[in-house]
Amino acid sequence: MLSIIFFAEVTLAEERVVGVYYFIPTFGHVHQSAMKTSPSLTTIQCSHPLKVIESSKVSVGPEWAFVQVADYKGFVFKSFLSEKRPSCLQGKYPKFFDALNLDLSELYYWGRLNDHFIQGVTRVK
Amino acid sequence: MRLLSLFILLFVQSSFAQNEKLQDEKELEVVDFSSIKKVLQQDGLSEAVKKKEKQIKAIKSEQIKIENERYVYPSENELWEFASEYWLIKNAQILNWDFEKPDYGIEKSFAEVMERLGFYQKKFKILLINSPTLVKTALPGNEAFILILSVPFIRSLDLSKLEISLILFEEFVRLEQGYFKQNTSTEKMRSLAGTNFQGRKADISMVEELLKKYHLQIFEKGFNFQQMFEVTKKVDAYLKSSPELWNAYFGLIGKIDRFVKSNTQYKDYVKLFPSPEMQIKWLSPEEKNL
Repeated sequence: MLSIIFFAEVTLAEERVVGVYYFIPTFGHVHQSAMKTSPSLTTIQCSHPLKVIESSKVSVGPEWAFVQVADYKGFVFKSFLSEKRPSCLQGKYPKFFDALNLDLSELYYWGRLNDHFIQGVTRVK
Repeated sequence: MRLLSLFILLFVQSSFAQNEKLQDEKELEVVDFSSIKKVLQQDGLSEAVKKKEKQIKAIKSEQIKIENERYVYPSENELWEFASEYWLIKNAQILNWDFEKPDYGIEKSFAEVMERLGFYQKKFKILLINSPTLVKTALPGNEAFILILSVPFIRSLDLSKLEISLILFEEFVRLEQGYFKQNTSTEKMRSLAGTNFQGRKADISMVEELLKKYHLQIFEKGFNFQQMFEVTKKVDAYLKSSPELWNAYFGLIGKIDRFVKSNTQYKDYVKLFPSPEMQIKWLSPEEKNL
């Protein structure tokens, strides 16, 4: 019994919630591994809150964040996260968005599209 | 019987929803102020009631405003971005962009070329597709413009990073010239963008029409000679200050010309972007002297 309690404490100590962040793109995925092409655990939409976790068991590259959404723990591109709630198309125009009746496959591909976009910006002069 | 009780429940709920009132508003109704008007005036309470009524009015008008804003079409710029992304989603299977690809570092070399030519603070998204169906195009966005490029095309021509960046730059110039929007914009989109549709059903046919125009433009119609001439001349002018870039661009057009003439898979290229052969003529110094 004692060993079970000890194990539980160690497990808890190994994970720490860094903070709650919000998802920026219109739709996206929580990935199984820290790769853009890795399978999706769940699809999330803009403004969805995610717990960013620091774990001694999971090492991620500088571009990725280890996150928890509901019961899923997975990986999201760091540049897709914001500390503040972002302004979202579906939030600004809810009735227009409802009328589109997007199906599950469209939501999935929308998330994948954001994964596949190679984003860049030219510097300020 | 069950159906009847469900109907009654729905009726009661909807009547409640329609008559939903603020708590302060209900309180004001319960008290009959007329019978104690004088006492209230002496105590200054009637002023308080008036203030409260004013507050209720302000809250109600704010509530109506918020509700109205929920029934608005996106602005024109937001609609362009939405349509571009939605078109890519609807054509995911044809374009085959959901595939694993190596990191070519295109975004860095493209940004470098843009900066060298004086284009600062420009946001862009590049989408590589694993299909020869569409060689290249630029789609309008809101904050960032979208560039699409075919990986089989890059591989077949064995293009360098600089050449890829110059293809993307030409697409950027074409988009900046406004030809894509000019060729795909619809009357319905322009009239509905940013307007309110409360009390009506959202007119989604506006989106369907726009997506059809995208399809037609990208796969069938393409750009005309005049538009191609203007784009080529514009790119020519931008690259003049950098002979290295100009020579690379001139060489690239020649490479594309030879390739599309000999490869039937890309026979539509000349129809959509008429034509590399003409571009060489427009760019050649001899042509300029005429």
